[in-house]
Amino acid sequence: MIAADIRFEGFDVRSWTNLVSLFMPGLPARLARDPDPTDAPTAREGEPKAGSLLLVRDGQGLVLAAQHTQRGRIPELVGEPQGGTLPELCARYGAHRALVIREGVMEELAERLALRFAASSPESGYLGQVLMLLRAARELMDAGLVELWPNPIANVPVPSPATVRRALDLLLPNDRAAVMVLWDQGQLWTALTIRRRGGDIDLVAGPDLVTRWTGPLGGDWRRDYRVMVDAVARAVAPVHFGLFAEAGTVRSLLAAADPGAWAREVAVRNVVLQPMPRPVMAALGADAVRGVGRASARALGGLDLAGTLLPLAQTLRARVTQATTVTEILGFDPLAVLGAALRREDGEGEPSE
Amino acid sequence: MGSSRPSARHRPRPVLEGGALRLGDQLVPLRSGAMHYWRLPREHWRDALGELKALGLPMVETYAPWSVHEIAGPEGEGPRFDFGEKDPRKDLGAFLDLAHEQELLAFVRPGPHINAEMTLFGLPERVVNDPDVQARSPRGNPVVLYFPPKMFPIPSHASEAYFEALAGWYEAVGEVLAPRLWPDGPVVLLQIDNEAGYFFRNGPYCQDYHDDAVGLWHGYLAERHGDLAGTGEAHRESYASWAEVRPPVAFDAMEGGQLRPGALARQLDWAGFQEHLLTRAIGKMAASARRAGLDGPATVHNVSLGDGGLPVSIPALGEEVDLVGLDYYHGAREHRMVKRRTLYLAGTQEVPFAPELGVGAPPWFTPLSHEDSLTTALTALAYGLRGFNLYMAVDRDRWYGGAIDVFGHPRPEAADWRRLLAALEESEFHALERQAKVALLWPREYARLARATHLLGALSPSTLEALGASPVSGCRGDALGFEEPIQLAWWDALAQVANALTAANVPYVYVDGDAPIERFAEHAVVFAPSFAFADPARWGKLEELAERGVHVVYGPRLPTLDDTLRERAFPRPGGRAPTPLDPSTTHALVHDWIDRFDLERPYPALPPVDTCLHRGGDRDAVLFVLNPGPRVEAEISLPRPTVARDALSGEPLSGEDTLRVPMAPRSVRMLLLDEVKRPRPKARRRPAKKAGDGADVETKRKKGGAS
Repeated sequence: MIAADIRFEGFDVRSWTNLVSLFMPGLPARLARDPDPTDAPTAREGEPKAGSLLLVRDGQGLVLAAQHTQRGRIPELVGEPQGGTLPELCARYGAHRALVIREGVMEELAERLALRFAASSPESGYLGQVLMLLRAARELMDAGLVELWPNPIANVPVPSPATVRRALDLLLPNDRAAVMVLWDQGQLWTALTIRRRGGDIDLVAGPDLVTRWTGPLGGDWRRDYRVMVDAVARAVAPVHFGLFAEAGTVRSLLAAADPGAWAREVAVRNVVLQPMPRPVMAALGADAVRGVGRASARALGGLDLAGTLLPLAQTLRARVTQATTVTEILGFDPLAVLGAALRREDGEGEPSE
Repeated sequence: MGSSRPSARHRPRPVLEGGALRLGDQLVPLRSGAMHYWRLPREHWRDALGELKALGLPMVETYAPWSVHEIAGPEGEGPRFDFGEKDPRKDLGAFLDLAHEQELLAFVRPGPHINAEMTLFGLPERVVNDPDVQARSPRGNPVVLYFPPKMFPIPSHASEAYFEALAGWYEAVGEVLAPRLWPDGPVVLLQIDNEAGYFFRNGPYCQDYHDDAVGLWHGYLAERHGDLAGTGEAHRESYASWAEVRPPVAFDAMEGGQLRPGALARQLDWAGFQEHLLTRAIGKMAASARRAGLDGPATVHNVSLGDGGLPVSIPALGEEVDLVGLDYYHGAREHRMVKRRTLYLAGTQEVPFAPELGVGAPPWFTPLSHEDSLTTALTALAYGLRGFNLYMAVDRDRWYGGAIDVFGHPRPEAADWRRLLAALEESEFHALERQAKVALLWPREYARLARATHLLGALSPSTLEALGASPVSGCRGDALGFEEPIQLAWWDALAQVANALTAANVPYVYVDGDAPIERFAEHAVVFAPSFAFADPARWGKLEELAERGVHVVYGPRLPTLDDTLRERAFPRPGGRAPTPLDPSTTHALVHDWIDRFDLERPYPALPPVDTCLHRGGDRDAVLFVLNPGPRVEAEISLPRPTVARDALSGEPLSGEDTLRVPMAPRSVRMLLLDEVKRPRPKARRRPAKKAGDGADVETKRKKGGAS
């Protein structure tokens, strides 16, 4: 998925950190935290949960090391059996999650990956290599050498490289580009252009390059996006998918659990998707239908949501004849996983067993 | 491979002098900016170099990547090289000539390893795919580096095949560089290899089990313990041959809850050997460069983030190259880490230098803002950094946030760097000094124990440290049969004393236990953490320091075992008993030092604000004010009426007794001091009556408020 000769360029610090913060909204708070405590006190009553517990056990089940990632070492657990289930330990030490590994398991993981690596084709790309690592890690979890609580990936299969490539084919075919440009009160906030070539992403370009390709713009992004799509097509590759919006709108949508949210913003042109590939249309159509269903089930307070969304959903469904979706191919909904992760990043909701 | 060029025996050499290079009668501050010629269109070279110089940098730095220049030769023949004959971007000679034309000096880093976010870290594919070159895991597998965009098997620092291949590269790049060495050309600094640390795969039992490494392991043991029998005695084993002396593949010194001293001695030997192997490799590479005609520039090596957990001895590396520095990529939140790393550098190295001081970052690291980079630079300068290379001054592929974009245009953030560099120039910062009379000894044997007891494999101590944790946070927590878990306690002991010194506004540094005794002897007080066992050589230094009149404080225990865990009588340096350490006594200990040795506490402020004074002779030249906490107005006690100017904003500040400095959260201000013409006699600052944090400063503050 990532070409060995991938080019990444054209970001200044603001445009890059803006882009990253879009997908990791909790990052600024995490970065502002003081690192390096010494010992972990037991969580005080009312103190919010934070961070993770990491325990290393020996073959007899005795704890060799115990660490709270934000509060430091937990000496009283060392040399003893674990002393409770992982949810109990998380409650006692005020942690969101816990990871318990058997002594030596990290070395075992490295050896298993190295064996697979040696047997793999020199041409296997980074995606294949990462999937090898994930499969080796899954084996160790299945063998009980690694425990994670809660385990958000318990039911997420490790797909094959071919499966991921097929999913990517739907979103961004070979020799095509995808563009996202976001503004903040009319100012360019960040931009991202990616290109796929030879099956892999081989270009990631930021605003420095995108604005150079486009030249001076008019200042109204609802008009300028067309110039951008044309410019990227000339400089990089024909654009398969474009997303243009205010940054705040997209940030809210990425974390939204609200069915119909995406479709609603597209319908009122707070988000412009142009061009829009079929799988995106399908997803949007499904989102619209879910939104209508949800909206119909409760009082709308005078807002004619159905009136806004239904025509769009019907049009989309009519245009998408074979709704092969990324979810069907992968076996899980990557957007749902991302949305859940982003909501947790924002501090909403607690992980449950 | 034999020598192809005689070394330039009569060529004058650049000489390190303070934070500068002496080039004949010219003194040039050690400040450079990175620009990667092969990654920029050639038509942008001139503009980019011009803007780099306009920032105020006297020197351009570039890697010269082996994989970029090596091209396949005809079937059956060795590799060939392209230095611009085929691809004009690869014309290293033309790039250096252009820099020379623009009166820029050059700092060149020809690897072999360069990282630079390049695929295979700048190594040719044929080299990394050669099984004889590859480092080996305990089971003989290649050791894989997980970095994007392609995982690859990393080379062994012991492999003779690797050194042989490298000699070919140095010969080729030497053809281009040798005629351009100063004074004939711009090249004054040459880096040997890059971030030696086993390519980030430096867990204690990750590598290197290559046959050549195992041979060197035996040689190391023979030198350390005398011979095979001596090694057997140290390990409590009856070895019949060296083949039986296998490197450990896991921590195996505990059995049924009991410590096996011989096994622990072997583990500590292994941890020491891992340091030795890297030192040896850098020495061999430096010799190879000299044979290739690169004999003349001052040689450099850079140590990556996570140095506190790395199997690297910086003093030992300093025996192989002229200058060893640390790389800095930190968020503003990492004040304590930047401080500790810089104080280590300032105490251990003659010239504290950062071969990579981050401006921007690679996209696959935690994002860093401009404020992060600037605050890190100011923090490092505050605690003693004298020279640096801004990495990247000019942006490039697989990077964001360079001060100058890839078209050679300065970004808005460049203005801050320009102002900072101008202030350093104006204050002659390279020649200033931050005085510290207290040294904290960095105990290498305990750092080795911490590495040996690390439980997280490839998530190594140095990786943990680079991620913001401490390098001991992945260690076993049990005491291993000692009175405390030494692998953790040494870190806490240093932190405890360092915190007390900071709270009392006493400047201090860290000095590596491997450093020459002269690095310690210039201090009035040396504190050395000590536990049940110790390295006799380090202890010998403490004894000698005490004999020379240095106040040696050690504790909490007088060791009774050497670093092979055999009983040994350790004399008490200076006849003093070990000092127990706990938070209540540590503050009293520090205040005792202040009284006894009249330790200066220049321009003190109330914690958490810290201050660092840099002097030029008797002149108070630059004062840094550091605020690792939330927004505050710092109140700094002045020894005399003072006028100051913020080096970046230009804001004037002044005070009679107190200087009030508004401080943004997690910020640093560099103040250029200008003494008022009517100096008052300096009142000797008395220590606080009680051993609390900054009690005397509090008194001053109230006075200032009243006036």
